[in-house]
Order: sequence, then C-alpha cells, then structure tokens
Amino acid sequence: MSSFAVQHVNQVFGTGTARVQVLHDVNFEAEPGTLSLIMGPSGSGKSTFLTIAGGLLTPTSGTVTVNGVRYTDRAKKAKDALRLSEIGFILQAYHLLPYLTVADQFKLVDKVKPKGNLTPAALQNVLATLGIQDLLHKYPAELSGGQQQRVAIARALYPDPAIILADEPTAALDGSRVKVVGALLRDLAIRHHKAVVVVTHDSRLVDSADVLYQMQDGVLTKQN
Amino acid sequence: MFLALKEIKKEKLRSGLIVAMIVLIGYLIFILTSLALGLARQNTDAINSWGITRITLNDNANVDMRQSFLTKAQVGTLTAKDALIGETATVVKSAKHKQVSAVFMGLRQQDFIARKLGLESGRRVAGKRELVADTALKLAGYKLGSKVTLNDHTFTIVGFTNNAKINVAPIVYGELSTWQTLRGIDFGPIASAVVSKPGSTRKATAGTKTYAKQTLIDKLPGYTAQTTTFVMMIAFLMVISLIIIAVFLYILTMQKLPNYAVLRVQGIPSRVLVEATVAQSVLLVLSGLVGATALTALTAVMIPASVPMAFDVPLLAAVGLGLLVMALIGGLIPIRSVLKVDPVSVIGG
Ligand SMILES: Nc1ncnc2c1ncn2[C@@H]1O[C@H](COP(=O)(O)OP(=O)(O)OP(=O)(O)O)[C@@H](O)[C@H]1O
Ligand SMILES: [Mg+2]
Repeated sequence: MSSFAVQHVNQVFGTGTARVQVLHDVNFEAEPGTLSLIMGPSGSGKSTFLTIAGGLLTPTSGTVTVNGVRYTDRAKKAKDALRLSEIGFILQAYHLLPYLTVADQFKLVDKVKPKGNLTPAALQNVLATLGIQDLLHKYPAELSGGQQQRVAIARALYPDPAIILADEPTAALDGSRVKVVGALLRDLAIRHHKAVVVVTHDSRLVDSADVLYQMQDGVLTKQN
Repeated sequence: MFLALKEIKKEKLRSGLIVAMIVLIGYLIFILTSLALGLARQNTDAINSWGITRITLNDNANVDMRQSFLTKAQVGTLTAKDALIGETATVVKSAKHKQVSAVFMGLRQQDFIARKLGLESGRRVAGKRELVADTALKLAGYKLGSKVTLNDHTFTIVGFTNNAKINVAPIVYGELSTWQTLRGIDFGPIASAVVSKPGSTRKATAGTKTYAKQTLIDKLPGYTAQTTTFVMMIAFLMVISLIIIAVFLYILTMQKLPNYAVLRVQGIPSRVLVEATVAQSVLLVLSGLVGATALTALTAVMIPASVPMAFDVPLLAAVGLGLLVMALIGGLIPIRSVLKVDPVSVIGG
C-alpha cells in the first residue's frame, strides 16, 4: 500500500456562471523512496493540488490518504496534527520564523509535538548532510538564501514525516543551484525513505525525478 | 510563552519601545491617582481623623460647618460620644513668617477630639491663648513657641499635628471659647457643629439637622468637582491606554500573520499562536507596569512633603490591575485575525 494516495479528487470553485472546475478526477500515488515531480503551466491547478494534498483544503469530492489515514474526512484539529507529524512542507519562500534561531526552529516543533521527532544524533546527521551544522545559533536574516532553504528542508524533515511536499522549491534559484536542490530532494527521498512530491513549472528539475506527472487544465497524467 | 519570549528577545528595540510607552502611560495614571488621592485627603484628612460618623449643623447652613451656628438649646445634651466644634476661616500671621490662610477649629479640651488629637511634636492646648497647628505651618517656618496673630489676637503655637487639613487648608486647633472671640460672638451661639461617634445617644434638637460624615465631605466646597474631575481623567486615560496598547499589539500581530500562516501550513495549532500573542501582550504590559511602579516609587521617595500626593499601595495596585485588564482586552483584539489566518495563502501563486 502506498504511503500517500489522492483518489478521484475534483475541485470546483464558485457557483453559477463563476463556477470553475480546477481539478478533474485527479489520481495520484507516491511511494517512500521516490521523488515525484508534478509539472504544468501556470494556472493548471498545481497549487490547488498541493493545497488539497497537504490537507489545507477539503476537495469538492475525492479522498486523500496518508499512511492509511483518510485525511479528507478528519476535523480541522486532526488535520493539523496529521500535517504536523506526517507531512513536511518546503515552501517557495523558505518562511522561517525571523525571530527564532535555527536551533529554536526545531525546538518549536518539540514544544508542539514532543514525540516522534528526529533524535539529536539524527538531526545532527541531517544538518551535516545539508551542510548547515554550524549555523544553529544564527537567525534566518543572517543566512544566505540557499542556507535558509536548507534549514527549511531540515525543518520539514525534523518531525520525521512520511511525505515531503515541496512547492516550487527552485523558483528563485539559478541554474547550478537548481541541480543541487534537485539532487538534495532526491537524496532526501532515498536516504530518508520519504515520499517526496515536488510541484513546479521548472523543467530543469526533470532529471532528478523518479516519476513525472503532467498537470494540464486540471487533469493529471503520469508520464513515462 | 516560548514564541513570545523568543520574539521579545530578538526584537529588543521594538519591544522596548512598547514597554517604554506602557511605562509612561502607567506612570501617568499612577501619578494622577496619587495626586487625586492627595488632594482628596487634603480635603478630608481632619474629618477622618476625628473618628466620627455623624455631624449636626444648623439646618440653614447648607451642610457648611463655617456657615453653621448652634445655640445652647440647639446643642442640647451631649454624651461622651459627642464633641463640639467651632470652625472659622482665619489667617495666621507673624512678624517673621509669611501669612498662611488657615481654618480655626475651636475644641473643648474634655471632648474626645481634643483628647485623642495625635501630636507630631509639642503638647496639647492648655489655655485660651494656645494653638496646636497642622504641620503645614511648620513647613512654612513656624516653630513651637512661635507667636502668631489670628484676627489681631495673639496666640502661641504649643504643638504640631499631622494631616490636620480640611478643604485643602491647614487647621489650627484652639479653645472653643476662642472661636467665639474670633467670630466676635461672645454671647449667643456656642459652636458650629456637634460631631458624634458611633453609639451616641444624643437627642435631636429643633432647628438642627444631622448628616452622615460622607455628606459633609461631599458638600465641602469644590470637593466633589475635584474628585469627579480626577476620576474622569483616570477613567479616560484607562480607555485611551486600552486603545493605544490595542493598536500597538494589533500592528505587531498583523506583521506576523504571514509567518503564522506558514506555521499553520506546518500543522502548528492555532492555539499555540493565540497563546503566543496573549503571552506577548501580558509580558509587555507586565514589564511596563513594573517600570511604572518603579518610577512611581522613586517619585514617592523624591517628592517634597509639601506636594499633595498620597501613595496608597492598595489603590495603586487596583489601578495597575485595571490597566492590566484593559491591556489584556486590547491584546485580545488581534486574536480574531490570528484565528482567521489562511495557510493556503502561502502556497505559491
Ligand atoms: N480560491 C479560488 N477561487 C477561484 N478560483 C481559484 C481559486 N484558487 C485557484 N483558482 C483558479 O484555479 C486555477 C488553478 O490555480 P492554481 O493556483 O492551482 O494554479 P497553478 O498551477 O499553481 O499556477 P502557477 O504555476 O501560476 O502557480 C486558476 O485558474 C485559478 O484562477
Ligand atoms: Mg502555483
């Protein structure tokens, strides 16, 4: 059984003449240890898909299942808890809290979710892999863009989620960095055994993907 | 608490400015309260020091002791719990010191007021030509043994007493018969008022009226107007401080909403964010109040005795608590926005 499944998801915004169907019977599965890339032009429904996949939006119809738990019929609080423990988000702008040091970004997770997070040794290992082990006492404003992004990745990994959802992770990066981030996400999937799902319109990431999907006008199709 | 402390630690200048603002507001309110209480006490200290609950005046006097005259018949039979007072406005003069407008209070030495009059120095009045004066006269340079004149009669100050003020004027206590002399009524009325302690069995007499102590105080010229003015000023300041603190905390919180949206995406519950917001308000306001208290304490130590300020800890604590409650209400206003933060807003365009 796959750790992450989106089944028959339809999303409709508005009613009457303002009615738009943004997603059409979307089906998607992700396995641990793979990097799935969802590509598509602007306005095709990628962000809407990610929002539903991450449990931030309940679809008009269809289900999202995370590790066997049906996300879509959970209450708001249960969704928060599931998101906190099972889904790591990597957002376009790295969005670290400006008044927390790198170490405190992890401590905040401990405060809210005391159990099941990476052990200090495992965290040290992740930080070393990402090359940010010496930045623990710095504030986000004291880091470069790339360092911030790597901290955001470590932050997403820290609760030891089953799935990593990344939203346009390379939007602000130049060519050489795109390859680095692509390799990093791939490494994340394999080494940490996560189902990594990346939503992007950046075709430079295609090389890093294990599975490629195409989103076109709300229809998701698997590429070979 | 974690987030609130971390943010205050990182944003030292911003937090410092808000705390400074709360310190100033709190200080202003504390000082106004102390001034109000000081002034109120200058009106009522003497009356309160007598330990009375009722006062009987001529019913044509409009509850004004200075306008009241009681004949022997109107005074009637007194018990040990009643005392006679003759009050008149006067000016204390001496060759060496500046004139002081004062209130003369004539007492019978056997009455409870004269007997329990607390002396700061000197001794009690023992004759018609002796006075016990409020310490305000001491501050004006008068001493034990000073010869003074009231309405061209010469007296000697033989004692000083604390907090003997009525209607913001210092009192000079003397003999009741001296009151008649100063008033120029050696025959006729024998006193201005009969004051009574609880349990007095004195019978009412014709042409007089008995009032509660508070009625007398409320009717002191200008007293109610002053007190109302101060209470209104303090009340308005409370409301204004609520608005100022609410606006500042609102701006602080609004700036963080994008960050909070990210935390919501990551599954951090709204409760944690609300707690952070409230904790931040409480921490900032409490620090501000501590600063205001320190400044007020410093002022209380430094202020000259002649300034009519009274620092009453329970009253100031109550005012401080009121301010804290107001600030908390102010701090709750942005909670609505925190609860409505939309995590979807940070998922790329
Ligand atoms: N809340 C909404 N109400 C109505 N329409 C919406 C809403 N959210 C998205 N849409 C519409 O759904 C379509 C898909 O939007 P979405 O943000 O998913 O696109 P996208 O593939 O992420 O595009 P981009 O690459 O530009 O980020 C767009 O036409 C958009 O206008
Ligand atoms: Mg998008």
